Amino acid sequence: MRTRLSPRLLMFAEKNSALMALIIVCLLGALFVENFASSLNLSAILFQYAIIGFLALGQLLVILTAGIDLSQGAQVAMISIVTAVLMKSTGIVPAVIGGLVMGALFGLINGFLVSRTKIPAFVVTLGMLGVARGLAQLFSDSKPVSIDVQSFVDFGRSNLAGIPVSAILWGAASLALAFFLGQRRLGRHIYAVGGSEESSRLSGINVKNIKLLVYVLSGVLSAVGGIIWTARLSSGSPLGGNGYEMESIAAVIVGGGYMFGGIGTVSGTVVGVLLFGVINSILNLLGISPYWQGTIKGVLILAAVALSQFRRVNRSR
Amino acid sequence: METQPPVLSLRKICKSFAGIQVLKEVDIDLYPGEVHCLVGENGAGKSTLIKIMSGAYQPDSGNLNYLGDSLNNLNPHWAREHGINTIYQEIDLIPTLSAAENISLGIEPLKPNGNIDWPVLRKRATKILESWGASIDIDVPVSNLKVACQQMVAIAKALSLNSKVLILDEPTAVFASSEVDLLFSIIQKLKSQGIALLYISHHMDEIFRIGDRVTVLRDGILIRSGLVTEFNKSSLVKAMVGRDIDLSQRNGSQSFGEELFRADGITRSGVVENATFSLRGGEIVGVAGLVGAGRTEMARLLVGADRLDKGSISLHGKLIKVGSPRDALMQGIGMLPESRKEEGLVLVRSVSENIAYSAVEKASRFGLVPWGKIRRLVNDVIKAVDIRPPRPALQVLYMSGGNQQKVVLSKLLLAGCDVMILDEPTRGVDVGARMEIYKIMQQLKNQGKAILMISSDLPEILTQADRILVMAKGRIAGELSANEATEEKVLSIALQLGEAI
Amino acid sequence: MQTLLQKYRATSFDSQAVVKIMAILVGLVVLASIFSQGVFLQPKNLVNLISQNALLIVIAMAQLLVIVTGGIDLSVGSLVAISSVLFVLFQDYGMAASIFIALVVTMMFGLVNGFLVTYVRLPAFVVTLASMQIISSVAKVLSGGGAIYAGMQGAEIPAGLSAFYKNTLLGIPYPLFICILFVVLVALYLRSSTGHYIFSIGGNEQAAFLSGIPTRRVKMAVYVISAALCCVGGVLFVARVGMGDPQTGAWIPLDSIAAVSIGGASLSGGGGTISGTLIGVVILSVLNNIMNLLGVPPTLQPAIKGLVILLAVYLNSARKQN
Repeated sequence: MRTRLSPRLLMFAEKNSALMALIIVCLLGALFVENFASSLNLSAILFQYAIIGFLALGQLLVILTAGIDLSQGAQVAMISIVTAVLMKSTGIVPAVIGGLVMGALFGLINGFLVSRTKIPAFVVTLGMLGVARGLAQLFSDSKPVSIDVQSFVDFGRSNLAGIPVSAILWGAASLALAFFLGQRRLGRHIYAVGGSEESSRLSGINVKNIKLLVYVLSGVLSAVGGIIWTARLSSGSPLGGNGYEMESIAAVIVGGGYMFGGIGTVSGTVVGVLLFGVINSILNLLGISPYWQGTIKGVLILAAVALSQFRRVNRSR
Repeated sequence: METQPPVLSLRKICKSFAGIQVLKEVDIDLYPGEVHCLVGENGAGKSTLIKIMSGAYQPDSGNLNYLGDSLNNLNPHWAREHGINTIYQEIDLIPTLSAAENISLGIEPLKPNGNIDWPVLRKRATKILESWGASIDIDVPVSNLKVACQQMVAIAKALSLNSKVLILDEPTAVFASSEVDLLFSIIQKLKSQGIALLYISHHMDEIFRIGDRVTVLRDGILIRSGLVTEFNKSSLVKAMVGRDIDLSQRNGSQSFGEELFRADGITRSGVVENATFSLRGGEIVGVAGLVGAGRTEMARLLVGADRLDKGSISLHGKLIKVGSPRDALMQGIGMLPESRKEEGLVLVRSVSENIAYSAVEKASRFGLVPWGKIRRLVNDVIKAVDIRPPRPALQVLYMSGGNQQKVVLSKLLLAGCDVMILDEPTRGVDVGARMEIYKIMQQLKNQGKAILMISSDLPEILTQADRILVMAKGRIAGELSANEATEEKVLSIALQLGEAI
Repeated sequence: MQTLLQKYRATSFDSQAVVKIMAILVGLVVLASIFSQGVFLQPKNLVNLISQNALLIVIAMAQLLVIVTGGIDLSVGSLVAISSVLFVLFQDYGMAASIFIALVVTMMFGLVNGFLVTYVRLPAFVVTLASMQIISSVAKVLSGGGAIYAGMQGAEIPAGLSAFYKNTLLGIPYPLFICILFVVLVALYLRSSTGHYIFSIGGNEQAAFLSGIPTRRVKMAVYVISAALCCVGGVLFVARVGMGDPQTGAWIPLDSIAAVSIGGASLSGGGGTISGTLIGVVILSVLNNIMNLLGVPPTLQPAIKGLVILLAVYLNSARKQN
């Protein structure tokens, strides 16, 4: 019941713990790991993690409402197949639009089930994960679908001033989302719903529709990730995206997000994504077996969730 | 004040829950610019009445009139939007958002391009709060603010919606005196703005300080209503309490065994202070007091559900350690919790499972449970306690409140408790089941068990208890024997009034 | 004289749930028999059905225990994988030693899961999601990435084990015996003094705590037991396919949750039966069979499974309304 001493200072430290970690890791990498600080490597990190970056933005929205989207990785695979298949019969634009629409529809189903039934979000998205995998395999006959449209592939791999285009797109999307969450009523209401559904409802906020919206957005953002992934591989693969949702959840939590909703920022999430990208790169450059990486990432997410829980308990009265 | 018509009028409001009538033809009028105090003991019907006013409950019969129009099917959302706002003790703000955002939630001011106009939003908040002289940080999450400040933000939020009626449900329960002063100055300002206020409180001095009009409820009936100047403290207490009790109802043996249980200096900072008392075998000791006096908190400390800061517990004269409810039960101390649905029962499981849980371990050897024997014991106790319907496999959630309570009692019986702490054993229980529970308590008494009974029902305490402890503000403020106790004496100790009545 | 309906009402609600699921199973079996023109009901086919699912049955038991306490274990698949790897890896020291090592390691992971959920109070699905990743990657490290067929120093998997799945005793395959053994053990656990506490812990942890139940101890224990059962699953896996595979088990979490949900357990805890879960496994299997018979492409099966889980959970949560 006592007011916390300089709450702003505490909030600053919390919000920026991820950033400080990122800076420290980057410094360590630059000092001790060969080739880490090269522009080639940094560009490669952005290239690789732009996809997770998009997923993490969607996951942030969902987690802000105290939900979760476990189907993101499967959606990436499914959208990649849909996009690739459409591109074979039509052009780039219809294929991309088709992929995005598919992502939105999928998210709509997720959101509908989460907001209108009592099924917990993780069960809904876990079940839909299965559905997405199944659809991916169905549409592709369980085989990768290659893409012949060179301009698409080129775009996916192109750079602008040394920075991968996909990363630039991600940066733009992050800015747009940050703006939405900070300056628009609907964005603020997403925070409200996560903070207290009941109070939000009493204040006239349409809680159900907001919950629906965040899953649709997550679906669309996963679709963007899937499309970029497809361009990168120049084929759609039904088996891809494995474990991507883990990384996106981890990025959000490490960036200061709270599993039970109401707390989290775009900037924190971006830092979280970069942090995982940098750690991934360092581990690769050090020659550490990719198998250990799963362990490290798993431990990181546990630490992040535990810390966020600890912070929460300390913060309240 | 009186010359204007009432803003909100309720007439002949009746409300029942599960066959128990909670409000019987209550009338009340709220006038603009007036503070109307609602008083009564626990269970008199106050919170039900305000829930009806705010639209959370629908009355069974009677009507509401607001600003001259009759209200049908009031719901909380409509009420809030049209100027009837309730500030509950559980503050309904968004804890993770700032005070500024909370105050404008849902009605955020927008710039022409559709973005939130932050300066205007913040100004709205500072304007109200500064006009009250309250210095509250409007930019930090409200969960970081002191409870008193949160209350004020909640009030500010209500006002930003052009309230005409503001209902305050025991707002000062956890306030320091300086915060009370601030709240009262705010209330004065609200009065001058013509807002009608309904103020529920147990604090006599507050009622006489801030109230213009007072309504007394007792057992769901309107007893008296009038200007505060027509009352004094003792007449108000008499109105709250005055009923005839048939003292001949008291029964049970008057011979007590030796000291069975002793609590010494039980303390948990901020909650319970230096509680010391003892229980003898065959004794029923009642614990009276207002909501917030610390009775349930003390009970939880005695069974190890919360940690003691200071104090000790002795059983049969020997000091014992009670670190968890498990420890307590193993040593024969059991509790019937205040809210049976949340704390006393596993609603989705069956009667027999709920009864047997505490006893199973004691009865088993090397992890093997003699299920046949347990089944028999459960059936025996179901019969002895007369649980209806006598179906051990029935899920507890389908039973009536009285029978649910009997299930919890049976659990304590089967666990072999010698000391039983019953927290509101007949709350939400119909008259018939109530009598049966009293009978069971008398039987336990005759078997030499010690019972500590927390109750907000004064007649119940006066008829059932051999001795009464009265708690106030976390301390045992007084003790009365059954012979000398009267409702007024108990209530005046509970209210901590200086003068004797 | 009691009518059948009265008798039904007199049984516990858990039993009533099982009866309902039985009815669904019977319906499905009828369908399957029709589509297969009677082949389905042949004893050989039925026995085959069960023994193929021996692994899933054991894991479903584990998942049931965790779900009843109100939690969930997504790491079951990876636990099976790591157990299979460890079991093969240490063959050089004999069967007993390799089983022991696998058991110790998996139970350690289970302990960590339980600790994080119970004492640190992290949501179970996050904990087990993360540990799934960790365990899976440790398994890959241990095996060098792919499947392994022999121990560290070259010891082969004993021939008797490989034949395990093919041999029968009195016409019943050995795996089925193991299966039955562990189902019985779990049933005994549920009837033991600590085991049956999981129902009240899952139903209302506060009330359980105040009733003197050692809630934290039991909750933790459940995750350890789950891990141990997954270890058994890993050994069964090796017996069936003759190798230790760190990548196996991707669908096990989903399948086991499906079986438990179909079997009537609520995901918020407090309900569920062994028989219901067993029927759930069988229903899943029969569904598979029916889909095959109808020519539904195998790639759609995860999708259908996902839908079935959603339906089962939805029906269960709707049932809980009071």
